Amino acid sequence: MSEQITTPRIAMRGISKNYGGVRAIRQAELTVYPGTVHALVGENGAGKSTLIKILAGAEQPNTGTIAFDGEAVSIASTTDAIELGVQTVYQEPQLFPELSITENIFIGREIKRGLRVDWAAQAAQIHELLDMIGLPHHLATAPVGDLSIAQQQQVSIAKAVAGEARILILDEPSAILTDTEINVLFSIVRRLTARGVAVIYITHRLDELFEIADTVTVMRDGQTLDTYDIKDLTVTKIAELMVGGIVTEKRPERSFDGLSPTLELHQLDVGHLLHGVDLQIRPGEILGLYGLLGSGVAEIAEAVYGMKQPTGGRMVYQGKAMVNKGPAEARRRGITLVPANRSAQGVFSFQSIRFNISIGDLAKLSPVKGWINRGRERDIALDLIKRLGVKTPNENQPISAMSGGNAQKVVIARQLLSTPKLLILAEPTQGVDVGAKEEIHRLIGDLAESGTAVLVVTTDLSEVLRISDRVLVVREGRIAAEFGHDATQVDILAAASGAVPIRKEA
Amino acid sequence: MRTTEKSRPQVTAGIPVAKKILPSLVTGQEVVLIGIIAVLWILLGLLTPAFLTAGSILPLLVAVAPIALIGVGMTLIIITAGIDVSVGAAIMVTSVVTSQTMVATGIPLIPAVLLSVAVGALLGLVNGYLVAYGKIHAIIITFGTANLFQFIGLRFFGSSTVNGLPDTFDVFGRGEAGRTFGIPHSFAITVIVVALAWWYLRHAASGRHLFAVGGNETAARLAGIKVKPLILRTYVITGALVGLAACFLIGQGTSTLEQSVGAGRELAVIAAVVIGGTSILGGRGTVLGTLLGAILVQTVTSGVTQMGWPSQLSDFFVGVAIIAAVGTDILRERSRRKS
Repeated sequence: MSEQITTPRIAMRGISKNYGGVRAIRQAELTVYPGTVHALVGENGAGKSTLIKILAGAEQPNTGTIAFDGEAVSIASTTDAIELGVQTVYQEPQLFPELSITENIFIGREIKRGLRVDWAAQAAQIHELLDMIGLPHHLATAPVGDLSIAQQQQVSIAKAVAGEARILILDEPSAILTDTEINVLFSIVRRLTARGVAVIYITHRLDELFEIADTVTVMRDGQTLDTYDIKDLTVTKIAELMVGGIVTEKRPERSFDGLSPTLELHQLDVGHLLHGVDLQIRPGEILGLYGLLGSGVAEIAEAVYGMKQPTGGRMVYQGKAMVNKGPAEARRRGITLVPANRSAQGVFSFQSIRFNISIGDLAKLSPVKGWINRGRERDIALDLIKRLGVKTPNENQPISAMSGGNAQKVVIARQLLSTPKLLILAEPTQGVDVGAKEEIHRLIGDLAESGTAVLVVTTDLSEVLRISDRVLVVREGRIAAEFGHDATQVDILAAASGAVPIRKEA
Repeated sequence: MRTTEKSRPQVTAGIPVAKKILPSLVTGQEVVLIGIIAVLWILLGLLTPAFLTAGSILPLLVAVAPIALIGVGMTLIIITAGIDVSVGAAIMVTSVVTSQTMVATGIPLIPAVLLSVAVGALLGLVNGYLVAYGKIHAIIITFGTANLFQFIGLRFFGSSTVNGLPDTFDVFGRGEAGRTFGIPHSFAITVIVVALAWWYLRHAASGRHLFAVGGNETAARLAGIKVKPLILRTYVITGALVGLAACFLIGQGTSTLEQSVGAGRELAVIAAVVIGGTSILGGRGTVLGTLLGAILVQTVTSGVTQMGWPSQLSDFFVGVAIIAAVGTDILRERSRRKS
C-alpha cells in the first residue's frame, strides 16, 4: 500500500469513544483505499461496531480525526455520512416488504415528473443495478417481501450503491447466507471494487477473508492492532491476533470415566440446520458448545429442549430413547433451559423477584394442587437470593429494577428450585458485568458438582474455556472439532471460523 | 456470477423498457370482491325481483357513499399502520355543528360543506398531531379523542335533537334532488375521491411513501422520508372526508338530526377497509378495495333486509367477512416469513 500513489478514501486517526465511564474504543486507526476490500475483525465487544457507527455518523467520537479523500471532514449525522457517500448495509435488511425492488431502491429520492413518480425512468435505471447485483430483470416489480433473505440483502446493497456509495460498509453480510449465496455476494463486492468503491467488510468467518479481503485490520479491547496484507495472514494467525496473549484461568481437570451419559445425541439432523451431530454429556460435566451466529449451535440446544424437532438421528436420555414434543415434556424429564434473550424469554419484568423465582416450580410450593403456599414461596426465594448473592433490598422488588447480572442470577435461581438433571444455558453472562459473571460461573460450577449435567451454549470465547470440561465447536451445522481440557482460545476460534476442514460424510 | 449470466437474457437488452414497470392494476382481493358482489347481486336479483331495480340499487349506493368516503381516508391511515377509531364521534361533532349553523343562519350549500369539512379537518389535525408526535399507538390516541369528541358533540346537542333542518343538503340525499341522470351525487363524489386517492397512492411519491412508512417506519426515516408530517396528513385528510360524509348523512336523513348520528360508523368504515384487502399490519392496501368492501357490506345489509331475515344476520355475515379478510392477510404474512 503505497500512500504516495493513492490517497486513502478514508483515514480515521486517533479515534476514541467513551460511553459513560466505559471506553468503547481508544486511539483507533483505520485507513481504507478505494477499490479495495478492507476487512475488520475482532471478537464481540472489541469495538468494531462502535468504529463503524462513528464512520456512518450514528455516533460521535470523543477524540480523533477523519479524512475523506485526503480532506478533513466531520461526520455529525447519518445524513452527513450519506452525503459523503458512506453507505452501510446492516445484517437485517432495512427494506419495505410491500414495495417493489425498484421502489425500495428509489425510495426517498424518486425520479419525478411533476407530482408523479416517473416509473419508466426509474425502470430504465434499475436494470443496470439489477445486472450488477445479479438479479433477473423481471423481479424489478416484485414485492421485496417475496424475495429470499439473500436476495433482500442484494437489494440492500443495490440501494446503497445507487446512492453513489464511495465507501460501502457491509456488517456481517455472510452470517445469514448459504455458501452459494456468499459466492453471489462476493461477485457483487468484486464488481463494486472494480468501480473504485472502498468496501469495509466485517465478518466472523475468518476463512472467507482469504477469498474476498485485500487488507485486514484486527481490533482487540477497543484498540486497532496493525493492518495486514491478507497474503501475510492465516486463519490461525488472525485468531491469535484477535485473542492476544490472554491465558484463561481454567477449572481443574475432572474425570467422568465410568459415569453413564445423561444425554447422547446420535447423528442428529434438524432440517438443513444440523447434520449428523454426535454428542455425549455425563452427570456433573460442563460441556461447552461454541459456534458463530448461524452455525447451528443454538439449534442443538433447541432440539434437546423440544423447541425444534429432529428430522433424523436420535437422542438418548438417561439410557432411554427420547422424543420431546415441546419444552413442557423436556422439563418433566428434568431438562431445563435458560434462554439467551433474557428480556424476551426469561423474565416477567413487572413481577417481583419472588414471583420470578417461584414460577419455575409452582408445584413444589403447593401441598394441594392449585394452591400456592405463600410463606414457603417467600422462604425459598429468600434462601436462593442469599445463596446466589442476588443484590436486592428484599424479595418483592420488581425484576425490571435490577441490573442485568442480578436479573440473570434470578433466572438461574428459578432453575435451581427443582435440581435439573440437565441444564442448558444459552449465553449465560451476556450483558453482565465482570463481578456478576464470576458469580454466575461459580454458580454453574456448584450446580455441576451436585451432579447436574450442564450444556453451555456461548459465543464468549473466554467463558467457554473457563467453565467447560470439554468444548465442542460447531460450524455449518456440524461438530467441527472437539477440545479437551488443554484447548486454547486460538484453537477454538480457528476451528469455529474455518481453519480446520470439516469432515463431511457424503 | 453464474446467476448473473443466467439472469441476463441478451434478447431483452435492446428493448428500451420492460412493459410491466408497475404492479398490476387490480389486486387479487379486488377481483375476488367484484366476483362476490356480482354473485350476491345476481342471487338477490333472482330471489327478490325488486333488488336489481333502481329503486333498490340507488339507495344502496347512497348508503355506501359516506362509509366509502371516510374509508378512503381510513385506508391511507391503515396503510401507515395507524388506525382512527374516532371517526364515528367526529361525524357527530361535524354534523351537529353544521346543522345548528344551518338552522341558525341558513347558510347556503357551499359554505355549509366548507364549514363541515373544516371542522372535520380540525378534529383530524388533533388526532394526527397526537399520533404523529405523541409516540403512542394510534388506537389508544383515537380511542381517547373519540371520547373527547363524543363529549363535545353531546355538549352541542344539549339534551335534545337538532330540529327543522333546511333542505340544503338534499343534493346529497336519496330523493330526486340528489341525482343527476339517475346517478346519486353523493356516490359520484365518492367515486371521484376514490379515483383521486387511487392516483395519489399509485403515482405520487408521497403516496408511495405511505406504504414505506407502514412497512418499516425506521427504514423510511433513514431513507429521508419525513414520516411525521406524512402521518399527520393522513389524519387530516380523513377528518376532512368525515366532514364531507357528515353532509351526506344529514342529506340522507330527515329534518331532525339525532344524537345517534355517527354511532358505530367507525366500525363500518374499518370493516370496509379491512374487507377491501388493506392490511391491518400496515404497508399494503388499496382504495378501490375499500369502495368494494363498503359496497359488499351494504349489499349484505340490504340483502338481509330484503330477504326478510332477522337483521342481526347481517352482523354475522360482515363478521365472517372481516375474519376471512384478516385471516388471509395473516396467513399471507406467515407464509412469507417462512420462505
